Amino acid sequence: MNLIKRHLKTWLLWELVMGLALTGRYLFKKKITVQYPEERTPLSPRFRGLHALRRYENGEERCIACKLCEVACPALAIVIESEEREDGSRRTTRYDIDMTKCIFCGFCQEACPVDAIVETQEFEYASETREALYYNKDMLLEVGKRYEPQIARNLAADARYQ
Amino acid sequence: MTELFINDEEVTVPAGTSILEACRSNGVEVPYFCYHPELSVAANCRMCLVEVEGWPKPAASCCTPVAEGMKVVTETEGLEKDRAMMMEYLLINHPLDCPVCDQGGACKLQDYAVEHGMGKGRYIEAKRIPTDKDLGPFVNTCMTRCIHCTRCVRFADEIAGTGDMGVLNRGDHMLIEGIVEDALASELSGNLSDICPVGALLDKPSHDVSRPWEMKRHKSTCTQCPQGCDIEIESRDDEVMRIRPAKDGVEPWICDRGRFVYDAFRSENRLLKPMVRQSSGLQATSWDEAIEKSVELLKGKRVGIVFSPDWSLEGLTAIRLLHDVAFEDCKVAFELHRRDTRPFAFEEGLSMSTKAIEKADQVVILGSDLRQRLPILMQRLRKRINSGKPVTRIGSMFYRTNTTMAADMLIRPRDWAAVIASAMVQLTELGKLAAGMDAWLEKVEVRHDAGKLLADALIADSCALLVGEEIRSHEDAAALIHGLDLLMRAAGHAEEGKDGRNLLPEGMNAQLLSSMFGDLRTSAGDLFEAARQGEIDTLLLVGSDPIGDGLFSQQAKKALEKVSLVQVSSISGEMGQYADVQLPASAYSEVEGTFVNMEGRVRIADNPLRSLGEERPMWKVMMRLVQALGYDVPAVSLEEIRSQILDLSPVLTTLGDAWSGKDVKAMFIPSARNRKITTLPAALPMKTLDLVSRYSMYREGAWARVSDLLSEAGRIHAMDDVIVHPDTLINLNLQQGKLLIVSDTEEAEYEVGLRTDVSVGVVFVSKRGAAGDLSNVASVELKGGQ
Repeated sequence: MNLIKRHLKTWLLWELVMGLALTGRYLFKKKITVQYPEERTPLSPRFRGLHALRRYENGEERCIACKLCEVACPALAIVIESEEREDGSRRTTRYDIDMTKCIFCGFCQEACPVDAIVETQEFEYASETREALYYNKDMLLEVGKRYEPQIARNLAADARYQ
Repeated sequence: MTELFINDEEVTVPAGTSILEACRSNGVEVPYFCYHPELSVAANCRMCLVEVEGWPKPAASCCTPVAEGMKVVTETEGLEKDRAMMMEYLLINHPLDCPVCDQGGACKLQDYAVEHGMGKGRYIEAKRIPTDKDLGPFVNTCMTRCIHCTRCVRFADEIAGTGDMGVLNRGDHMLIEGIVEDALASELSGNLSDICPVGALLDKPSHDVSRPWEMKRHKSTCTQCPQGCDIEIESRDDEVMRIRPAKDGVEPWICDRGRFVYDAFRSENRLLKPMVRQSSGLQATSWDEAIEKSVELLKGKRVGIVFSPDWSLEGLTAIRLLHDVAFEDCKVAFELHRRDTRPFAFEEGLSMSTKAIEKADQVVILGSDLRQRLPILMQRLRKRINSGKPVTRIGSMFYRTNTTMAADMLIRPRDWAAVIASAMVQLTELGKLAAGMDAWLEKVEVRHDAGKLLADALIADSCALLVGEEIRSHEDAAALIHGLDLLMRAAGHAEEGKDGRNLLPEGMNAQLLSSMFGDLRTSAGDLFEAARQGEIDTLLLVGSDPIGDGLFSQQAKKALEKVSLVQVSSISGEMGQYADVQLPASAYSEVEGTFVNMEGRVRIADNPLRSLGEERPMWKVMMRLVQALGYDVPAVSLEEIRSQILDLSPVLTTLGDAWSGKDVKAMFIPSARNRKITTLPAALPMKTLDLVSRYSMYREGAWARVSDLLSEAGRIHAMDDVIVHPDTLINLNLQQGKLLIVSDTEEAEYEVGLRTDVSVGVVFVSKRGAAGDLSNVASVELKGGQ
C-alpha cells in the first residue's frame, strides 16, 4: 500500500504541487515588501542614526564641553577642545565625530547631561569620500538644525522611559 | 607611643596624633574636607565623624587626639546616616554644575556624594549666589561652589603668610573673601587650586580647557630655581596642560614660577627646528644643514662657550666632553651672576637639607631675597618662624618675606667685610677662634653693628648660614666667603654632621658644576670682554641668555655684535636676533635625565613628554657636533654618557646605583667645601652709592620671560625700576623724580622711586627694568636731572 502511495507521489510530482500551492497562496495575500526609498519602515524614537548637536530655543548651543561623551565613546570617535568663552561660559572650540569610527552605540547621548549630542533617525548620509564622514562642529550643528523637530519629538516620546 | 584599636585592629601611633591621622597612616578610609596634613586643624566640615566606644556622640576625628586603649569605629550605620546628612547640608548651596566644573572627576565632594550622599536632594528652595572674586591671573573663583572648609584661608595665613583670604559672616551667610587689590600677593598662590577640595578655586590659565581624566602624568624635576621641586607635568597628548607638585614629593607645594612657566613650553619662542641665518633672517632648515653651518663657524676658530646650569647632568657632561675633545683651550663660562671667579671656601650648594635648616637652632639669611629666589625654602622658614623659632637676616633691603624676622638689619654691600670682621671680634672675645682669623681681621679696618646679630646667631648649638646673592655676586666674594668660613669654623658649625655653611646657588646642579667645570671657570664678563676685543671668533651659547639674565648684559650685547653665534637652546628668546645658527634642544619636560638640586638631592626623570618638534636632548646635540667636527664620539647612548659622568666626577659613584634603579630618595651629593684656601679681603675702591640688582621670580630666566602668564604676574607685582631710600636723596640734596645715574661707563636719566625698607646709600635697579643694564656696576652716583 505504502509502496503504491509513494509511487503515485513520485510520478504525479506531488511535492512540487504542494510547494507551488504555497507560492500560489502568498500570491494572493497582502504584500509586506517596502518599496525603499519610495516607502519606508517606521523607526523607533530610540533609533541611533547620524549625530546632531542641538541648540536651545534662543539659539545658544547646548554643549557645555564637559567631554563626558568623549570619554564615554568606546570607539574614540569624538574629539573635543574647549575654552572659556568671553562671557565666561564653557564652550567647545572643536567638536569632531569621526563617523567612520563610530559604532552607533549611543553612549554619547546617554552621557550628555544637557541633551546636546543626540543621534537622529537619519541614516542616509553615505558619501563617496571618507572626508565627508568626518563631521565637525558646524556640520553637527547643521544636522541639529535640520532635524530639531524630529529630535524633540523623539525625546518627548522616550521621556517617560528615561 | 599610644596603642588604640581602629575597627578592632590594634595600631600604634605617636602620642598626640589625631584619630584621623592614625586612620590615614594605617590605611583606614575616613572622609574629610577641611583637614589638610600641612595646615592647622579647623574641624568645620564635620565629615570625619567616627564613633569611639563609650562616648555618647560621634567625634570629629581630625581634632580628637588618640588615647591609650581607645576603640574607634569608622563604619557603622549611624555614621553612614550622619555622613549622608552632612553631605546634604554641604550640598544645599552647592550648584549641580559638575559637567562644567574643572574639578569634576577629581573632586572630593563629587566622590563623597556618590559614596556617602543620599542620591537625591530634598532642598527645593533657592540657592544663594555669592559673587566671584578677581584674585589675579592665576586663580579662578566660582564661589557658589564653596563649602567653607577654610583651607584657603589657613593656607594664606600659615603657608603663604600673606593672609589675603578671609572669612566674613557666619552660618548660612558665611563667605570666603579675597582681600586683594590686583592679585594675590603670594608667590605660592597657584597652590590654592590644589588645596580647594571642590571647584571654588581653580587654576585660571588651564580653566575650561581640559578634564582630569584626559591627563597623562609625567614625573619630573622643576629647574626654574635651585630648589628643584618634584613636579608632575600633566599633558594632553604632547601638550603640557598643567604642572603640579608631585604627590609623593618632598614638598606638597610649588611656587607660581615653577607652576605657570608651562605656557613657555608651547610659546612661539620655543625653538623647534634648526635655524640658519640667511639674508632674509633666520630660516628653518634641516639638522644636517644646520650642523654643517655650525661646523663652518666652529672648526678651527677661537671659540668661547657659555652655558646655563639648568640642563640635565647628561647634557652638562656632553658639554664638557665637547670641550675636552674639540675646544680644549677655549674659555668656558657658566655663571652669569658671579663677578669673582676665584674658588670659594665653600662652593655653591647647601650642606644641609631644607628640613634640617627648618629645625636648626638659628638660621641666618645673609643678603638674599629668599621669597623671590627660593619660595619653597622661604615657606619652610615661615613655618619655622610660626612655630616660634628665630630667623636672623642681614641684607641691603628688607625683602618682603610675609613673616617677621627675629632680628633684621640693613647694610650696604660695601659693609659685608665690616660685618664679618665685627662678628669675628665678638667670637674672639668669647674665646671661639679659627686659624687664619687674625690675618683676615687685619685686612679690615671698619666694623659694623650688624656683626653682632651674626655673632649672636653663631653661638647657638646649631646654626644654618644661608649666604645669598648679595655676597655671591660681590666683587670680593671669595674673601667674604672665606671670612664666613672662618666664622663658622670658629663657632663649630663646620664639622661633619653639623655643617651649616650654605651658599645659595643661582641654578640647578651647582654641586656638580663646581666639581665638573671648576677647573675651567672663567668669568662671563671676561669672556664677553675678550669677544668684544676680537679674541674670540665664535660664541657657542648653550641655553643661557646673557642679555636677559645675569650681570653682564651690557658686555654681552657688545660682544654679540662682534662674534658669530651658534645657539643651542630650547628657547630662541632675545638671543635669536644675534644667532647665526640655532640648534633646538629638548626642554626639561622632554628629556630623560638626572638633576641635582641645591641640597644635592638627586632626581632622575625617566618618563619624558614627546618632543613637540625636531628638538633633541642636549647630549645628542653635543655629540653630533663632536662627530661633525671630525672627532671620535665619546658616547652614543644615554648609558655611555652616564658612564662618562662617573669617569669625570668621582664624587658621583653612588649615581650608578640610582641609574640602575635603586632607591634614590635619600641620595645627596655634597658640595665642595673645606678647601685649603686663603682669600683675604682686598681694599675696595671708594664708592659713592652701592648698586644692587634686584631679582624678580616672574621676570628672570629664559623660560619665565617667554611665558605670558609669568610676564603678566611680573607686571602686576613689579616695583619701581630704580629704588632708593628717601634719606639717600636728602643726603644728596636731590628731589624725587627723573635723576641722572652716573656710572664708570655711562650716564643716563631714570625715574627714581622711593622706598623706606631699603638701605640708605644703595641704589636698587630691577634687572629687567629700564635700568637693567646697570646690573654689573657696583658703584654709581646720583645727580639731579635736567
